[in-house]
Formats: sequence, C-alpha cells, structure tokens
Amino acid sequence: MDVFILLLEGIFVSFEPLNLGLLIFGCLIGLFVGAMPGLGSVNGVAILIPITFIIPPTAAIIFLAAVYYGAMYGGAISSVMLGIPGASTAVATVFDGRPLAVKGEAMTALTAAAVGSFVGGTVSVILFTLFAPPLAEVALRFNAPETFALMVMAFATFVGLGGDDVPKTIFSILIGLALSTIGLDLITGKPRLIFFNIPGFLHGINFLVLAIGIYGIGEMLWTLEETKGKVQMSKLSVNMKEVGRAFGALKKTIMAMNIGSFLGFFVGILPAAGATPASLMSYGITKQLSKNSKEFGSGVPAGVVAPECANNSASTGSMLPMLTLGIPGSPTTAILLGGMILWGLTPGPLLFTQEPEFVWGLIGSLYIANFFTLVLNIALIPAFLMVLRIPFAILAPVIFVLCVTGGYAPTQSLHDVWLMLLFGFAGYILRKLDYPVAPAVLSIVLGPLAEKALRQSLILSDGSMGIFFDMAEKPIAAIIMYIAIVLLIMPAFGPLYRKFFKKAQTT
Amino acid sequence: MSVTKKITVKRAEIAVAVILALCSIALMIKSAENRITWNAEENMGAGFLPFYLSLGMLICTVLTIIKFVLKRSPQSKDDSPFIEAEAFKYIAVTIISLVILVLAIGYLGIYFSLIFFLAFYLRYFSSKSILFISVFSLITPVLTFLFFEWLLKIPLPQGISEPLFYPVYDFMYS
Repeated sequence: MDVFILLLEGIFVSFEPLNLGLLIFGCLIGLFVGAMPGLGSVNGVAILIPITFIIPPTAAIIFLAAVYYGAMYGGAISSVMLGIPGASTAVATVFDGRPLAVKGEAMTALTAAAVGSFVGGTVSVILFTLFAPPLAEVALRFNAPETFALMVMAFATFVGLGGDDVPKTIFSILIGLALSTIGLDLITGKPRLIFFNIPGFLHGINFLVLAIGIYGIGEMLWTLEETKGKVQMSKLSVNMKEVGRAFGALKKTIMAMNIGSFLGFFVGILPAAGATPASLMSYGITKQLSKNSKEFGSGVPAGVVAPECANNSASTGSMLPMLTLGIPGSPTTAILLGGMILWGLTPGPLLFTQEPEFVWGLIGSLYIANFFTLVLNIALIPAFLMVLRIPFAILAPVIFVLCVTGGYAPTQSLHDVWLMLLFGFAGYILRKLDYPVAPAVLSIVLGPLAEKALRQSLILSDGSMGIFFDMAEKPIAAIIMYIAIVLLIMPAFGPLYRKFFKKAQTT
Repeated sequence: MSVTKKITVKRAEIAVAVILALCSIALMIKSAENRITWNAEENMGAGFLPFYLSLGMLICTVLTIIKFVLKRSPQSKDDSPFIEAEAFKYIAVTIISLVILVLAIGYLGIYFSLIFFLAFYLRYFSSKSILFISVFSLITPVLTFLFFEWLLKIPLPQGISEPLFYPVYDFMYS
C-alpha cells in the first residue's frame, strides 16, 4: 500500500508543469536521438547532461530518463526505414524490421516496434516499482566493504558476461579507474598523475569529458566512416487502414512480448549487459521457441516486437541497481549516476529515504513517459522520416558543436575540451580494434566511489584485505566478492568447456 | 600502394597495443612520484592505486601482444585496411578541422570559430548552396550564444572577440 501511495505521489511530481514539459521534451529528443543512425540513448544523455545544471535534480533526472526512454523507441525507426540501427540496442530490430519495410509493410514494422516498446516498458516499470523498495531496504544495511564488493562485482560482470576480448575488457576497466585517480588524493591531499604540471589535471577528469569524448566525438567518427553520409530510405504509406492492419498483425506476437519484457528486465539489471544483449537474446529465444522460426529474418512482426520489448524493458531494469545500489546497469545509467553526483546527490539506497521526491518522481515519470513516447512515436512518424533525410554531413557538425560546448560548460576549461577530443579519437580507434569502451566509462564514474569504499574498509580492518572475504563478520561482502571472482575466472573456462563439449560430441 | 592500404587491421592492432603498453609504463613512472607502498601502519600511499592499476594495464597489453604473436585474436589475422580510403578522407578532415576549431576557440573565441568551422565543414562535405551554408553557419552560433549565455548563464570563451559582446551583455543585463 505504501508503495502505491509513494508511486501516486511520484506520478503527481511528474505532472508538475516543469517536470511534465521536460518529460515530453525529453521523449521527443530521445525519439530523435534514437532515430538518428549513430546516436543512441548514451550519446544523447552524455551530450545533454550539461544543460541540466540549471534545473532541479528531479526535473533533470525526469528529462534525461525520458531521453533514455525515447531513444529506445526511436532506435527502431532507422532500423526499419534505413536498415541501419539507430543505436546498438536496435540492431536486432533490423533483422525483421528491414525485410518488412522492403516488402512494403514498413508501417506494420514501426507499429510493432512502438507497441512492443510500450508493452516492454510498462511491464518493466511495474517490476521496477515492486522490486526497488525491498532491494533498497536491504542495501541500506550495506557499509563500505559491501559497497566495494558490489563495485568489484560490477567490473567483474563486464569480464564474465561482456563477451568481449578479456585482456581488452580488463584494460578498459583499468584505464577508466586510473583516469579517475587523476587529481588530488582523497586522503593525503597529494596531487596524483599531474602530467607536465598542467594545472587542469588538478581538478581530476570529469566523467563527462570521457563520456562525451567517446559517445559524442568517437561515435560520430565511427558513424561517418560507416555511413559516409549515404542513406537508403524505404517508402512508407501512412493511413488508418495501414495502422489498423499493423495492429491486427500484433495478435501473433504475445509470446514475443512476454519473452522480451521479462528477459529484458532481468538482463537489464546486470551491469555489463544492458539493452543490446537483452534485445539480441530476446530475438534469439523468441525465434527458437516460435512455431514459425524459419520465417524469422524474412520479415515477421514478432521478430520486431521481441527485441523492441526487451530493449525498453532492459533500459528500465538497468535503473534498478542504479537507484537502489548506486551501481549502474548500463553505460547510460553510468552517466545518469555521474549526473546525480554532479547535482549534489549521493547515489544509492539512501536516496529512497533522503530524496523520496527524486526517486518516486523518476519512477512515476517512467509510467508517464511510456505513454507519451508511444503517442508521440506513432503520431510523429512522418516528421521523423523527414529528419532521417537530413544528410549526415549536416548533422555531424551540429553534434560536434554540442560536444565542444558540452565539454566546456561543466568546468569552463578548454583543457577539458582538448581531453574530450583526445578521448574521442582514442575511443574511435580502440573501438575499431574491439576494445570495449563502456567499461571505461563505468569505471571513471565508479572509480572515486570504489576508492573511497576500499580505503574506508581498509581503515576498518587495520589494513587487512580479509575484510572482503570474512564470511563470519561480513557475509554479504564475502558472498558478493566470491561471485565476482567466479565471474572474473569464468572466461578462462570457456575454451575448456568448448574443448570438452567437442570431445564429448565426437565420442 | 596507398597509405590506407598499408595500414592494415593487423598492423594497427600491434601498433596500438605497443603504444598502450608504453602509456601504461609512463603512468607507472608518474604514479611512483608518490608513495606506492601500503601497510597497516602507513595506510595507502597516494601513488599505490594508480601504480597498480597501470601495472594491470601493462599486463593486459602484454597479453594482447602475446595473443597477437600467437595469432589468437581475430585482428592478428586480418590483412584488410584499417580504414577505407573514402572513409579516411572523412575522418582525417573531421579530426583536423576539430583540432583547428579548438585551437581557434582559444584565440578567436567560440562563436567566430564555430562560424568558420561550420562554413568549412558544410562546404567541404555537403552539396548545399552558399546561401544555406551561410545562414546555417551564422544561426548555429547565435543559438549557442542564446542558450548558454542567456538561458544557462554560462559564459563560453570569447578570446579576442570579447569586446564585441559588451553591447550585447549591456542589453541583456540592463
């Protein structure tokens, strides 16, 4: 009952004029950002975070969450109409969305994507409302050792479940952590890693500099290379008959909706996973379980609904550990978490007791944003198609302008803009060589928090690392640490398992 | 053979791994300017964490190099160009124009630098008319000014062009 009242209060908060205006504006920007090839929620949130400095934190989080949400919906538009995923989260939508568009059924694909997103979003936000308060209550008992253990587990998840090259993944985590140590040491006050005695390094490296560099500049370079400004738009006829036919086709997608919604939510909670693997897994499982699995890939609505349900559901799921544990579930929530610190909040379970308006305003806004995004998405399809016709050669410099101004605004230092360019170029090259960049962004956000938790824990234990593995004194920390160790060593067993499996098959 | 064909994925992989290894060593040396030891009596030195994180980075790059030498990574067997010639033009011009933009911001200020950057970029890559490019290149900095200076009250760098903005500020704050 309490949860219901708090949720109602949260919905009222999101209906306040400023919050509602920003919510609708955020949904629109998100749809646009998601629809543009090369731009996704993480790029939109990273580039837009500097403009939230003048609004209250609740309005800021509602705005950015709406951008995040809208981008999940918008990603399908370019997947279907251009055959280029608007973001990595919409890669799986291309598999059946594009063939549907080529067959002349683009409206069916776009409607399936929008309704799928709505269902996934709604189911996940209900699960979120039910799971968040008890999880936050458990997390309230966490002290420094448990917090540090959780952060180690977040890093280990990237190694164990990320699926990328292990040394490159660990390198990405470590460089993010190393960058977060630049500046004044928390305890001794001594300057660390001040290269060439440049004073700009004394204030450390703001996570936004790395995030905008990688997801703004680096992503634009990547997209320029991929698209070279060329687009191939499918034809689309929008009339009520088409829309009606599209809704009719959704009757056969109930199973895809169930798989996408529930799988997406639980995959979204995992720090290394997020919406991209959730949507790919959902597509794969729906295809496996479908009676018409052979038709997948040739243009079936269920092949659009499954990944779209999952990516929206995962985006909400990834906010659960962010709000309750202070651990982001995706690169976008890592940036949102960094934003909370910039707005003067302490991410974690205390938010539920100290900032209920912020937490429940955000949760309430997810319900409202879900509805508005569905309506705006379907109503504005013709407008988004016009936007998609903008040549990339025009869009790219505008994004660069936003990156340069966004990189300068937080600290008002050109030093940060140079660093942002450097990270952008480096991120582009590293990404081309399959170095995952998301762990670096997660690490630079969590780095200072992890260091603080580690040092506090070591002070508590008189310098003994045993505090993290003591089942009698700190059972939660120990269990989390052991899970982290399993995750860290898991990739080593991959080749062994495959070898054993092959041998078993041959015998 | 063009430059882009000479730089294969294979060569880029090993070159980047070596550069990252050297950067990791440089970070270790820099970290060692502070105390890098840790014990119960003295607590953790300021250089301890960055030193061991850099050491970890070095180990990862060495593992990447070993995988390359043993041909265990996909990149170690990939002789395709790291970047296609046509894409290289886009990337190189973009990077150079961005570097010049940031250099110019320090001297000319952001608004005039943006005008030149946008005009050049659109002229070079798009087939739009001079009129469109001129209007677009002028409107974008004006909107940037209104958004940051008027709405957010965040002053952006103006370099030698600062005196030109005094009358605008007088109007805004009078």
